[in-house]
Amino acid sequence: MLTLAILIPLLGSLALALRPGWSEPVSRMIAIGASILSLLSLVIVWIGFDTGPGAPAFQSVAELQWIPTLGVAWRVGVDGMALAVSLMSALLFVCSIAWPADYKGRARQYYAWFLFLQGVSLGLFLTLDLLVFYVFFDLSLVGMYFLIGRWGHGDAEFAALKFFVYTLAGSLAILLAILGLVLANDTLTFDMRALITAQPLKGMDIRSSLVLFGFLVGFAIKTPLVPFHTWLPLAHVEAPGPASAILAGVLLKMGTYGIVRIPFSMMRETFADYAYPLAIVALVSILWGAIVALGQSNLKRRIAYTSVNHMGYTVLGISAAGAAFGTEGPRTLALTGAVTEMVAHGLITGSLFLLAGSFWQRTGTYELSAYGGLARRSPKLMIAFFVAAFASFGLPALAGFVAEFQIFAGTFAVYPWLAAIGLVGIVITAALFLSMAQQIFFGTVPDQRLSFTDLSRTESGFVAALLVLVILIGIYPGWLLALIETGSAFAPFQGSIN
Amino acid sequence: MLFLLVLLPALAAMAVPAAVRMVPGSPRRSLLLVAMTGLALTLIVAVLASIGDWTGTIVWAGPLVLTAVTTPVSGAMAILVPMIAMPVLAYAAFHEEEAGLARLIGILLLFVAGMESLVVAADLLTLLIGWELVGICSYLLIAHDWRDAANPASGLYAFLVTRIGDLGLFAAAMAAYAATGSFSYDSLTGISGVPAVVVSFGLVLSAASKSGQVPFSPWLFRAMAGPTSVSALLHAATMVAAGAYVIIRLEPFLATVPGVSGTLMAIGLLTALAGGLVALFQNHAKKLLAASTSAHFGLMFAAVGSGYPGIAFLHMIAHATFKAPLFLAAGIAGERSGSYDMNAMRYGRVFPIVAGLTAVAAFSLAGIPPLGGAFTKEAIVTAGEHNSLWVAAAVILAGALSAAYATRFQLSTFGFEDQSAKDGKDRANHSYRPSAVETGALGTLAVLVLATSLIFVPSVRDSLGRALGINIVEARFATFVVSTLAVLVGILVGTVLVRRDPKVGLTEQTQSVSDWLGLPQLIDRMVTRPVMGLARAAASIDDWVIDAAVQMISSGGQRAAWLMGRRDDRILDRGVSATAGFVGLLAFYSSRTGEWLLNGLADGTAMVVGQSGRDARRIQTGMSHHYYALAAAGTVAAIIFLLIVS
Repeated sequence: MLTLAILIPLLGSLALALRPGWSEPVSRMIAIGASILSLLSLVIVWIGFDTGPGAPAFQSVAELQWIPTLGVAWRVGVDGMALAVSLMSALLFVCSIAWPADYKGRARQYYAWFLFLQGVSLGLFLTLDLLVFYVFFDLSLVGMYFLIGRWGHGDAEFAALKFFVYTLAGSLAILLAILGLVLANDTLTFDMRALITAQPLKGMDIRSSLVLFGFLVGFAIKTPLVPFHTWLPLAHVEAPGPASAILAGVLLKMGTYGIVRIPFSMMRETFADYAYPLAIVALVSILWGAIVALGQSNLKRRIAYTSVNHMGYTVLGISAAGAAFGTEGPRTLALTGAVTEMVAHGLITGSLFLLAGSFWQRTGTYELSAYGGLARRSPKLMIAFFVAAFASFGLPALAGFVAEFQIFAGTFAVYPWLAAIGLVGIVITAALFLSMAQQIFFGTVPDQRLSFTDLSRTESGFVAALLVLVILIGIYPGWLLALIETGSAFAPFQGSIN
Repeated sequence: MLFLLVLLPALAAMAVPAAVRMVPGSPRRSLLLVAMTGLALTLIVAVLASIGDWTGTIVWAGPLVLTAVTTPVSGAMAILVPMIAMPVLAYAAFHEEEAGLARLIGILLLFVAGMESLVVAADLLTLLIGWELVGICSYLLIAHDWRDAANPASGLYAFLVTRIGDLGLFAAAMAAYAATGSFSYDSLTGISGVPAVVVSFGLVLSAASKSGQVPFSPWLFRAMAGPTSVSALLHAATMVAAGAYVIIRLEPFLATVPGVSGTLMAIGLLTALAGGLVALFQNHAKKLLAASTSAHFGLMFAAVGSGYPGIAFLHMIAHATFKAPLFLAAGIAGERSGSYDMNAMRYGRVFPIVAGLTAVAAFSLAGIPPLGGAFTKEAIVTAGEHNSLWVAAAVILAGALSAAYATRFQLSTFGFEDQSAKDGKDRANHSYRPSAVETGALGTLAVLVLATSLIFVPSVRDSLGRALGINIVEARFATFVVSTLAVLVGILVGTVLVRRDPKVGLTEQTQSVSDWLGLPQLIDRMVTRPVMGLARAAASIDDWVIDAAVQMISSGGQRAAWLMGRRDDRILDRGVSATAGFVGLLAFYSSRTGEWLLNGLADGTAMVVGQSGRDARRIQTGMSHHYYALAAAGTVAAIIFLLIVS
């Protein structure tokens, strides 16, 4: 079933790529259909998912031998974290694919690349094989590169290139680290389950440290953490709205998901030793991302920088959970918060970028000063934007609060000072989101915006699907938290450190 | 079950759009109906809940559990909120502009829902949720008239100032969890040492910012950008009251932490005196009342600091009953006058009934017996006296100031001077008369003010004290006399000011006093501007970092171009950078070859931060090829290596 979730969009992509005769509406239907089928197969897995106390580390596992001499195989399986993140990703893909964008006369190719990206992204979250993980990690770069470069605006190709080169450097670091980790193990295997059990590298010796740094630098670029974040605003500004939504909502998660799945789980002791510096980097990202976002006058750049801030929260939670001291309760809370933040940030920032795409479709500009007083002209857009903005700065009864509150409460028990200083971020994000929304929707309407139109039925339908989930998670998150806390990532720490 | 209190007003808010759509014509009546139904049901549930000691629990996961209880105090507060909200919302439905009225009523109902959730909260998480919801509702309400960008800006100011305070509550919740593994109020008693200090001072910080205490007071002035009914609800029973309510509710814990009581007393007395002074010099009717709100919540803080949370709670009830009608009255006078400048009012002859009803509330604000406000203020004097005579003296002085500005407010807005000469040349709306609903709302609240006078009756007082579990202290006769004399002096000062010096607060020397003693400018200089400056600096540093990286890649590209030996491109490249900024140089090149210029312009359009798009494409092809070759070689090497090793 998990394999289907990966294969359906990939096959759809292949079909679209090979059939030049298909018109735009046909391509669109095939793309949305394949995307929804992929989501549905994940939902089926979810229905059968056991969140009980005796649940196994990974569920819905399937395995197909590939290169037995190297211990490489097609292995898929999910724990709660992977399932939650991949469900969110699949939903965001459905919405992004259906979201109107400027296809530049190549709608068929656009949809093909999008389906390709969906297949490889889900593959990354669902696989249990390190080498396959790496392959999907790299392929996702390719998909995003073409989406930005060919359907972006402004100097899109340059932005796409910068994104590509930068994150490639990161993925090379990850490849080396993967090899280092696998070779340190007694038996040659890329099976994640085996590596989690074996914990091949321990301590702070040079080899373990280098492997850990390889992973952390690679994932930090992808996440991105300060100071590796400078590719992000450029890529976001030039990318089409839906691609931005996927970039922020899904691709950034690959960084934090990777941290939890690999170094956090497979070399716990080394990770614990370096958790504190990582937490400091996360704190810097929180503050720097927020303060730089406040200084932006471009709609998309401002949202882009808040991603740096939010992913900083996530990494702060992960490092607090990975630190080897503190009691089990706060660490579970911090990690649950971090994973909840991944899901919440995907839904919230995904919506914000889709809406940003709608602004571009209507006006061709992201400059905040070009907007004003749109409340009367586009009430639906305003409500959606405000809900997403509220959620993004952590207002209660919305998903962001549930995530951030858990991260802060859990982290405080481990690193009180870092959590306390990080709190400043939530004031700055409130300031930057509200001042942005005010600039766009309140005050007087500039003359050139008098013909501005509200969200279409398609747009409001899909953004509502995302935001209803944001509200549902905010009011009653029990089901999501129970799902997240099941399985491998939350297995009790069995290391030998006190 | 107890969460019904939150659900009911929220449901009423959701019914608002449907109600407006179903009934054609003016929405006022249907809005009134929806609001009154929702609030009446809330009131009934609140009464039932406090009789039946209801509780509520919603489990999220692990330690995240939302809990609610009714204690005597929380039950009484849960009743007070809808009781004040009913007349205020009725007034809103008939007083405020029809454009956006449904939105206003809907958010006011949500506001009540948020307030109820923080009132019945039995843990810090539930408290925080209600706390922040109230904050965001206040933002939306202050920004209500969004067409004037100044209003949303004021809303943002108010929201950010209170959210800075909210950080205290976040910190308190985090520290409580770290120390006890739970967020519940009950577990707070077990905390000591540093965590206790963090929890208690975090709570004090949040409470001070919500209740408009020094140095957070100026946000209450900015909040005056909202409609009058919003101010009435904000200052009487919600939002601002939340701060004082929380320290009253958690006083048993706060009193155990050293330094907290003294801090509360210091903040409270400072705000009471400063706020009184500010109010005395204000000429804007609503701002006068706003400063007075800060001052009276300061008295409550002082009472809690003195160890008498029950007294503070009684004063909060008294304050809610008299402050709401004063705002409604200011709204009526302001509607007629077209501005809130008190010197352009004097509507005693025009609206005699409104003037009379307002006077009841103003007397209670002034602390004139036998109105409830007088008793509760004397009780605070006595509570202070148990600590030190200085505290009592400060409270008496604050009471005198309160009497002075209350007098000034009443005599200016609803005085009997003949203003017909003034009328007519300004923006006054002479056809405006308050509707029956507006006057009725004012009358209802005036009756509530009179009801608070019953506290002077000993038997009523005793049963109230038993029901709420409060030790109601009575003032000594000497204290009572001194305090009442101070009130009389205050009234005299107020009267003299209105008669002799109506422009006080408008002169150069007194203007900064009336604007919170220059505190807003201080905040602007010390907080707002540095943060914005930092943000801009950070943004440009960040851009510079990007730019530096871009430069590096592009210089690599130039070198690649050079390696390829395409000399003309170098010239082209120079042409391109010329278009980026050196128009003079461009002219020079253009004089040489027109073709180069055309090329240069075409490429110039593809530039970002002075880089040529062609360059970028060239790097792309060059680098990608390199990379793929590298990656392929690396993979092959890795596989060979692995095969050998295995």
